Amino acid sequence: MKLKQGSFLWYLYLDKIYCLLSVRNVRALMEYFHLLDVHHKNTLNDVVFFHFLNHVTNLTRPQIMMIFDMLDWNAMGEIGFDQFYMLVCILLSHQNHLEQQFIYRHSRPVFELLDLDGDLRIDLENFQLYSFLFNIKKQELNEIYQNFDFTGDHRLNYKEFKLFTIFNVDKYQKRQKAEKEKEEKFLLKSKVSQQSDVFTKKEHCLEKKI
Amino acid sequence: MEEKPSNASRRSLVHHDSNKSLLQGDIRNLWTTATLSELNVNLPLSHVSECSDLEGRRSSYLKGSVDTDNVDWEWDGGLRESLPGDDSSQQELDERTLMELELHRSHSLGSVPEGGDDDDSRIKAERSSSSLNVFKQTPHRAYWAEQQNRLPLPLVGLMENEVLEILTKTLESYRSGIGRNHFLTKQLRRSIEGLKKRRNKMLQVSVN
Repeated sequence: MKLKQGSFLWYLYLDKIYCLLSVRNVRALMEYFHLLDVHHKNTLNDVVFFHFLNHVTNLTRPQIMMIFDMLDWNAMGEIGFDQFYMLVCILLSHQNHLEQQFIYRHSRPVFELLDLDGDLRIDLENFQLYSFLFNIKKQELNEIYQNFDFTGDHRLNYKEFKLFTIFNVDKYQKRQKAEKEKEEKFLLKSKVSQQSDVFTKKEHCLEKKI
Repeated sequence: MEEKPSNASRRSLVHHDSNKSLLQGDIRNLWTTATLSELNVNLPLSHVSECSDLEGRRSSYLKGSVDTDNVDWEWDGGLRESLPGDDSSQQELDERTLMELELHRSHSLGSVPEGGDDDDSRIKAERSSSSLNVFKQTPHRAYWAEQQNRLPLPLVGLMENEVLEILTKTLESYRSGIGRNHFLTKQLRRSIEGLKKRRNKMLQVSVN
């Protein structure tokens, strides 16, 4: 999933730590929402919602309608600004590769979104349906259920889900740290090689002179 | 009989005022003020004097003004001095700065009769009235709209264009799905037309 470059959402900045928009950004988003709200009900219906997501992302029609169903949890056929804001934050976290951080920071709302049946548990199937939103692969998902389904009912309750988010964010931070170290090592190596090049060139020049 | 202040004292007064105002205000405020006041430049001279002199006091204020070149020099000098140590704590438009700019503008228009005498308090009163007139007479529409919305105009433009595209596609879906005469379709069409009008108005303002 990718955001269309140059679209309005593309210019919004998601805080990397809290995974939230600034007040100024939320105000701009609200203005945008009100422009889309053509029927003046403070909501967006499925048609407007589809065209909106179709315009700003590369999501397919079934994916968009699945997201709409997820956000419209009370089956009103419309979504309000709260849901819209949540969706925009998810899109931006995906765009900025902050999915793990986002799930960790907003574990409760994400859990409630993924709990489609409302029985305070997340099925493997439901999680798999929306895994594209959080960039979780099928293999990873199976591992999550193997490692964190302590009750053994093939579903995650909130505590299990929370543990998964903590483990996930820890893994993410370690990965980031490792990448940083790798970059630093690479920079150091390139510097050393540059210096050695200069040294050999100088030696070569000296030899020539002699 | 009123006492004529000497040229030197007037200069020092202007110098003091301009320096004070420039040091107090943010340099960006000066830019904003200049933009506001420059709107009247293209107006006919008679209209300008009407605008700035509702009670016929403008001429007396101008009579009391000093040599234009000196004022310009003083003003520019003040500006140059204020640049390095710019104090950006004051966010409000400085009224004194506005006065100076208004004075500067009126000189550049060439509507300055030479000679005459006035006391300082009268000059100040006239200046403040003229600065208020700047606010009244030159509402820069795009500028004020931006200030009221608190959203940058390019962002608003981008937002509206994007929404317009989305809504146009939605209208097609509405027409094929629920028909042209459905009240939702009509409502959507009206919204699109309203948005288009708004965008055109904004474009016109930005062109002007």
